[in-house]
Amino acid sequence: MFAFAADRRGNFAGKTGKTAIRKKMIQMNRKRLFRQSSILLLTLALFLGFNGSLYRLLTCRLTNNFSDSAQPKMVDVGRYLPFEAGSDLPKIHTDFRLTGDLPVLDGAAALVPVYAAVIENVYPEGSVTYEGGVFSDDNYYGENFAPDSRMQYRNTVRGYKAVVDGTADILFSAAPSAEQKQYAAEKGVELVYVPIGLEAFVFFVNGQNPVDSLTTAQIRDIYGGRIRNWRDVGGPDRPINPVTRLKGSGSQSVMDAFMGDRPIQGKSPLALFGASLGYSFRFYLMDMVGAAGQEAPDVKVLRLNGVYPDRETIRSGEYPIVASFYAVYRADDPNKNVKKLVDWLLSPEGQTLIEATGYVPLG
Amino acid sequence: MKPRTFRIVFAAVLGLCLLLTAAHFAYACYAYEHASIIQFIAKELW
Repeated sequence: MFAFAADRRGNFAGKTGKTAIRKKMIQMNRKRLFRQSSILLLTLALFLGFNGSLYRLLTCRLTNNFSDSAQPKMVDVGRYLPFEAGSDLPKIHTDFRLTGDLPVLDGAAALVPVYAAVIENVYPEGSVTYEGGVFSDDNYYGENFAPDSRMQYRNTVRGYKAVVDGTADILFSAAPSAEQKQYAAEKGVELVYVPIGLEAFVFFVNGQNPVDSLTTAQIRDIYGGRIRNWRDVGGPDRPINPVTRLKGSGSQSVMDAFMGDRPIQGKSPLALFGASLGYSFRFYLMDMVGAAGQEAPDVKVLRLNGVYPDRETIRSGEYPIVASFYAVYRADDPNKNVKKLVDWLLSPEGQTLIEATGYVPLG
Repeated sequence: MKPRTFRIVFAAVLGLCLLLTAAHFAYACYAYEHASIIQFIAKELW
């Protein structure tokens, strides 16, 4: 500070010197202010850059089935309401009708069209009721079936609990997970699993991904952690993001069974930003999320061992991963209509209904 | 801005940024667990 107070010849400040000091001080303050502003702006830029990239790459892709009308639902149940004009449910010719104690039907998202069609075809009108009297899909899980309604929609995880706990009579679902079997065992409940139709388990990628086909061995290697980049399976040089599903969901149970004793490996957090590989059921992906036999927009279903999943390749067994779906009920359910309805589902009429919904009947 | 004032302002801005980033990250982790994988894959950047 003192040095600034001297002029060029080394004389200490007079009036002119004070002005020079003041100018110097102002310059220093400006520099400091510039430096401080730069640090603050850089901090804000880093914050906005990081969060903006995270949003663009990840957050904006995360949509779920919880209640927000802006978010797409997993299933538009409104398309599959029994006894409603204009629903997408098939009608078949049958004289079979249930009366008396009507079983409560519940099920997985992918099987809503099947059990809703059962109600449409064999239950009396008025069996499906809504809280407040009118269907609404704007509550927590999206639908407002009344407690006394014969149709419920609790999806696989909650649906298994419902059938074990006795609040549903028949669950339409994929094979149970180990945890679901254990839950039933812990409650001392014996469940009966009756296969009622066939479905392909399919793998899919983004529509822009150039890979069209994988082998079952490659898929096991990807989920087993041995293959981590698309270039190793004929694709671009991008990390693979092997997406998994909620534990206990129908598709996750089938995937676990497909992997056998080979566990699904954890992935690096950076894989989240790679190109994804996912799995689902054919009908759900191609008829419920997509439009009537089309793949959902912007995704591509892969051929597996060179075979594309369609009704013919499922029926013939040519497609490598065909899973049964089941009617699940308690062995001790006292309602005689439960067994009666399941037997009807296995009859030619019941199997015709399965086919009419878009699924593949048992061979 | 005096150095001491700047330090306080900087700490407040940094703290807020870190807090919002942590909240964003926590939401992303939660939402990822419950997201539709079809939508997730369909919206992938290529």
